[in-house]
Amino acid sequence: MIKFKKLISLFLVVVMCFSLAACSTPGENANANTEQKNDQQTEQTTNDGKKVLRYSLTADAPTLDPQLMNSIPSSTVGFHIYEGLMRNHVGEIQPGMAESYDLSTDGKTYTFHLRDAKWSDGVAIKAADYEYAMKRLVDPATASDYSFLVTTLIKNAGEINAGNMPVDELGVKALDDKTLTIELNNPTGYFLSMLSMSQLCPVRQDVVEKYGKDYAADAEKNVYSGPFIVKEWKHEDRIILEKNPNYWNKDAINLEEVHILTVADPMTAVAMYEEGELDFVNVPSEVLKNYEDKVIYYNDGANDFIKLNLDGSSELKSKDLRLALNFALNREDYVLLSSQNMYQPNTRYVLPQVNGVEKAYSEEYPFEAFPVKGDTTKAKEHLTLAMKELGVSDPSKIELELLTTDQERTRIEAEVLQNQLQTALGITVNIRQVPYKQRLEMESNHEFEMVVTGWVPDYPDPMSYLELWPTGSPYNHGSYSSAVYDGYIKDALSNTDAKLRMDALFNAEKTLLQDGAIVPLQLRRNAMLINEKVKGFETYFVGINFDYIYADIVE
Amino acid sequence: MGKYILKRLGISLLTLLVLITIVFILVRLMPGDPFASDKLTPEIRQNLERYYGFDKPIIVQYFTYIKNILNGDFGYSMKYINQSVNTIIADSFPYSFDLGMRGLSVSISLGLVLGIIAALNRGKTLDYMSVIIAIIGTSVPDFIIGGLLQYFFGIKWGLFPVAQYKGIEYTILPSIALGFYTLAMVSRIMRASMLEVVQQDYIKTAKSKGISNFRITAKHQIRNAIMPVVTVLGPTVASVLTGTFVVESIFAIPGMGKYYVQSVQNLDYSLILGMTVFYGAFLVLANMVVDILYGVIDPRIRVAGK
Repeated sequence: MIKFKKLISLFLVVVMCFSLAACSTPGENANANTEQKNDQQTEQTTNDGKKVLRYSLTADAPTLDPQLMNSIPSSTVGFHIYEGLMRNHVGEIQPGMAESYDLSTDGKTYTFHLRDAKWSDGVAIKAADYEYAMKRLVDPATASDYSFLVTTLIKNAGEINAGNMPVDELGVKALDDKTLTIELNNPTGYFLSMLSMSQLCPVRQDVVEKYGKDYAADAEKNVYSGPFIVKEWKHEDRIILEKNPNYWNKDAINLEEVHILTVADPMTAVAMYEEGELDFVNVPSEVLKNYEDKVIYYNDGANDFIKLNLDGSSELKSKDLRLALNFALNREDYVLLSSQNMYQPNTRYVLPQVNGVEKAYSEEYPFEAFPVKGDTTKAKEHLTLAMKELGVSDPSKIELELLTTDQERTRIEAEVLQNQLQTALGITVNIRQVPYKQRLEMESNHEFEMVVTGWVPDYPDPMSYLELWPTGSPYNHGSYSSAVYDGYIKDALSNTDAKLRMDALFNAEKTLLQDGAIVPLQLRRNAMLINEKVKGFETYFVGINFDYIYADIVE
Repeated sequence: MGKYILKRLGISLLTLLVLITIVFILVRLMPGDPFASDKLTPEIRQNLERYYGFDKPIIVQYFTYIKNILNGDFGYSMKYINQSVNTIIADSFPYSFDLGMRGLSVSISLGLVLGIIAALNRGKTLDYMSVIIAIIGTSVPDFIIGGLLQYFFGIKWGLFPVAQYKGIEYTILPSIALGFYTLAMVSRIMRASMLEVVQQDYIKTAKSKGISNFRITAKHQIRNAIMPVVTVLGPTVASVLTGTFVVESIFAIPGMGKYYVQSVQNLDYSLILGMTVFYGAFLVLANMVVDILYGVIDPRIRVAGK
């Protein structure tokens, strides 16, 4: 009896512990109350006219260390907190930390003249900070995924990254506090547009060395050079940016704060937008119908295609078979069935939006390699030739495996493709779904026949796509090899005349498509809803998704 | 009792070591490459392997890992590059723990009450009502319950915030979504157990001694019936407190469950290992507490332990 009373009191104690635990806010201890007050204040002042932009990401930025960044969400934040030598504002190259630059007559050496500016902690920004950052990017000890950005571009970067040369040999030198030279391997017109990528933005040696591996892991373990600083970073919850009072061009910045929340479920994000808690949201295709008249579409640069393995291990060695696949697809039906027209059908390889000589590439070089609705007659002609070449009499004996990621969206895409190819050609297509990381591994190990894959550009130039396919390129997973193609690429690399270079690139693209080396599919888009009070919020398709440096909130 | 706890502790540590070893091998057997990306070159892959020590023989990697764990160091995440696994757990676990505690405290007590009421009113309306609640709770998955709660209470009626964790009012919907299953489970087990206990000889003895029904129920029936509930509470408490992916995703809670699932998708070896060891330790601890509670509740077990 007494023991039962003890049991009851034990139970009560446990319940009390639960309720006590339930009263404290996790993550903070002593600061819990002030923290909450701050939140309320922020919300009140938002209404009081403080200019705050609020949006969400489906996953937190994996890192804010500029040289280690390897994802678009990270780079988009990085773009707003770090200042490159030049600034790429949705394709327009503006001066950044460099007031001006000179280019040598051979087009290979840039000399940048830096302006007087300060880090967020008041220390002067020097040319040496850029030199240190770029050396850090290619240093094999840093192990940056994104060192590939410059390994073929900057002098000696590739050799250093492969561990064959000391880091000091890099073609980047600070001549004094305000002058920086960068030596390139080839004249590269798009190089300036890359300089606002976070990976090429400055870091301070003393700060990096002070925190070591923890550098940039939290808001205060970093210094900032860009329009905004990170005021608070609660991982997987929110990143709060605040206008940088030391930014050299601070008068051009209107926003006082940017709140970037992590909201994993896209439907929750839409609900929060509806409640007025977010100023901007991407609408998932499942509910696109409800918002069709309100959304704004924007391309994020992703370009999906089927990579074909041409190493001779399958029937795909036949060029006619590859062309048959290309002509058989009705890409208009494909995007309708697989994405409800969220995505756009695509019949070429290079992203249409990248820069041509003066205008967009696709305006200067229009090309439709295959009719968007397909051409079954032509497809069958090519199939007949292919069957002759392969010595096959029954098309269903041609059996191809289509590799794809194990997601719902990719499953539907693969099924539409399978259905179209089997119906139009009578061949057999087997779908194989594997986890994302496994698909990537199989791709780079050349362990596939056909794989649904894609590419996002790293700079707004056709070369960002075409550099994949020269013989021996590390990204040439399909083993495509064409002396004609290689010749055009070599031409483009060495040619200093912009028009001739662009012509060579266009010829390379045509060769690739006419060889049927890939099967183009679609350009990805997003559909966004945006608060009408937000002005100057731009989307971009290279390296970052959004550019809100000059954005404003107008009541 | 002390000796018993000590023995349990020893077994627990051994369990953890086995767990670490198995998971250490399993993550490496998972198909796919943690470094795989669209733009990986052989040189960069080599740099990454060296950086994470994957260029060394696996046995060396294993002992380094064990040594680091003994020093309390789970290493750095491979996805969240500058963040150590220790800080990720320290940052995210309190959210999951807090929500779990709220959900559990309500659902366990309510579940017990519901189960007792159902058993005492066997075959009557109250019993059927509790059965309906239990069936809904066990058969409707949490993403539907979470989504419905969010839609009605958050969006349609505007009674609670839609998502995120910024204060007490933000915790109510996710706690309910989290606790619903436990409530249903506890009430079902409690009901069944109560009905079983009522057949026992000691209840008949008590009745024959003329003790009132209320006292029999309160002192003998409930106390003995609660044992199976305690048994299942160990694993349930461990899994609810370490967070659930779905509820945390729907309500945008920066908890541990989300990290756990994503670490597997990302093949983030160090985070998978760290989280599994942490979860394993928590489960082992919860089971140990349950075993000790048995002793407190049931004198027969206590005697046997001595």
